[in-house]
Amino acid sequence: MTLSLVSLVFIAVIGLLAIGLYALLVVRHLIKVVVALQILAKGAILGFILAGRINGQIGLGESLALTIIIVDTIVAVIGLSLAVQIRHHMGTLDVNALTRLRR
Amino acid sequence: MANFLILLILGLPWLGALLVWWVSDKRSKAQTVLAVLFSVLAGAASLMLIPFASESVALNIPLGGAFGDFTFVADGLGVYLAVIATIIGSLAVIFSVDYMRGEAQLGRYYALVLFFIGGMAGLVLTSNLLLMFVFWEITALCSYALISFHSDDPKAVYGGIKALIVTQFGGIGLLAGALLIYSYSDNYDLQAFIANPQILPPSVLAVAAFGFLVAAAAKSAQFPFQTWLPDAMEAPTPISALIHAATMVNAGVYLLARFYPAFENVPGWREAVVVVGVVTALMAALMALVSNDLKRVLAYSTVSQLGYMVYAIGAGGVFASQFHLMSHSVFKALLFLAAGAVIHSVGTRDMRQMGGLGVQMPLVRTVFAIGALALAGIPILNGFWSKELILEAGYTHGPLWAWIVMVVCAGLTALYTFRCFWLVFAGKPRSSLNGHDAGTAMKVALIPLAVGAFLTELLAGPFAHLMKSTVPSIEIEAETTLLVLGEVVTTPLTLVVLAVVALGLAAWWWREKLAGLSSALAEVGRAAADSFGFEVVNRGIVIGTNWLAEKLRHTQTGLLNWNILGIAAGFLLVLIILVIGG
Repeated sequence: MTLSLVSLVFIAVIGLLAIGLYALLVVRHLIKVVVALQILAKGAILGFILAGRINGQIGLGESLALTIIIVDTIVAVIGLSLAVQIRHHMGTLDVNALTRLRR
Repeated sequence: MANFLILLILGLPWLGALLVWWVSDKRSKAQTVLAVLFSVLAGAASLMLIPFASESVALNIPLGGAFGDFTFVADGLGVYLAVIATIIGSLAVIFSVDYMRGEAQLGRYYALVLFFIGGMAGLVLTSNLLLMFVFWEITALCSYALISFHSDDPKAVYGGIKALIVTQFGGIGLLAGALLIYSYSDNYDLQAFIANPQILPPSVLAVAAFGFLVAAAAKSAQFPFQTWLPDAMEAPTPISALIHAATMVNAGVYLLARFYPAFENVPGWREAVVVVGVVTALMAALMALVSNDLKRVLAYSTVSQLGYMVYAIGAGGVFASQFHLMSHSVFKALLFLAAGAVIHSVGTRDMRQMGGLGVQMPLVRTVFAIGALALAGIPILNGFWSKELILEAGYTHGPLWAWIVMVVCAGLTALYTFRCFWLVFAGKPRSSLNGHDAGTAMKVALIPLAVGAFLTELLAGPFAHLMKSTVPSIEIEAETTLLVLGEVVTTPLTLVVLAVVALGLAAWWWREKLAGLSSALAEVGRAAADSFGFEVVNRGIVIGTNWLAEKLRHTQTGLLNWNILGIAAGFLLVLIILVIGG
């Protein structure tokens, strides 16, 4: 059984999204959370490229992918800088410990 | 040319807002000059737009097809309301020069006022439903921010938040209606919808119609949402004038008038509009009668007069309602600004402490008297003509019981207006308050409005003509000033209404002889002073929401993993529904 390129990429998209989601479900380390978000975003980028290819609107898919790349770079930068600040102030990077910020 | 002017009407106030914001609060003189300049220029631009009024799209901003094009149409209805918003708005700004002198954070004040004026002008000129919703919310946001301008005063903050929350119900109604229309007609163009409302199935059309009625009622402080407007009186007085006369509350009546042709055949809709208008007008008039706060009396009178306009739309008199809107804008702005001059000078709003101020402030007394006579509907002032027009439309097309109640309300209006004037300006001083007459900028704002209260009825003809030629969906019979005014003069109904108004005035004159009657009506007065229990309902809703929020707090764990689980579960649920639903 041979797989077409489209189905291979589709499996990759699902795989990336699943890994990212699973990681967000189980990790508690803030830097790992940022990494998980990055994996999710990469899955989404690939998904948009694939959708553009399937619909024949490659340009639209690419422009959306570019938008996500920018957004997720910003997420990474701000997330990591927050991580530095949080480590500085609270001495931990455990996200569950951050619930203390409530109230 | 028209597209350029529309850009100016929207752009000038907003550009002014940015500039005022950018100039620091240390240079408050420059801020004031900028605010006055830009608001007056916007007013001039809207006046210049009148000759270019037409029903075709004047300005089109394509948006790639995602939300329909952002279109603006300068038809008669839109242009007139834009003129009212910008002209009355600029007069309120001019008045603020004296009223707000020396206050802190003038930049925030003027920037928001200009943003408010631009937002209202956009709301009446756009023909894209989605954009209309955006402008609608801009006016709500600005009113909230300006009502609680004195953010260190808890009452002002309370009034602002209340206005925001209550008007949000209206926002939901408008959004729901707009989305329903979009889902069936596939575009947000409201002209296309009004021309062909049958696109929607009757049941959906009815939902949209009542959604818009809720929106209008919340915005125009109609029953059962009337409670926010009196509490909004904590705002600086020029803001009250702006909200009551130029921007904000007019939007609701405008919405009803705009969509009347689409909804008039929805079963029960017109009756509902009439009931909302009549109940509001009566209740607010009674509350105005027992209030002792000068600004609250005026606020209740606004609610009551808006009730007249809503009633007129329900009875089919769209032109009469918009005409009264124009008259009301002029005389209510006059009354509020005159009241502002009084409050600014004596430092209290309690009418029981005033009295005899007419001697100290002759100019303010004169202009307030003109505004009060117009509000009471005394002949030759603009309020008389437009109110008679509404009552005539109501008598010929609406139910008789509603007409009778509205005529009684006209008498009550005369009574509370006269009481208010008497308590403030006439009689002997009841405390050692020292008044001084209005300053120069105040006079510049007050005198044109006082002249306008005598003259705006002459605009009836041009207004009717413009409406007839550019808003074909609204039926208008008379087209010249003489015909419109002649209609009022020749009908015997006018005499009936005038007699009731005279009765209202006489009731105040002989108030001591009528002591028996007033004590018999004391229960009604007490209920009116308690705003007929609506405040209790409001408080109950707030307490209930707080209780529910406290109960639901436990679902907010703040733990990332749980939140992700919730998102994933929700996503799965949506997928399953989509799969099952096909």
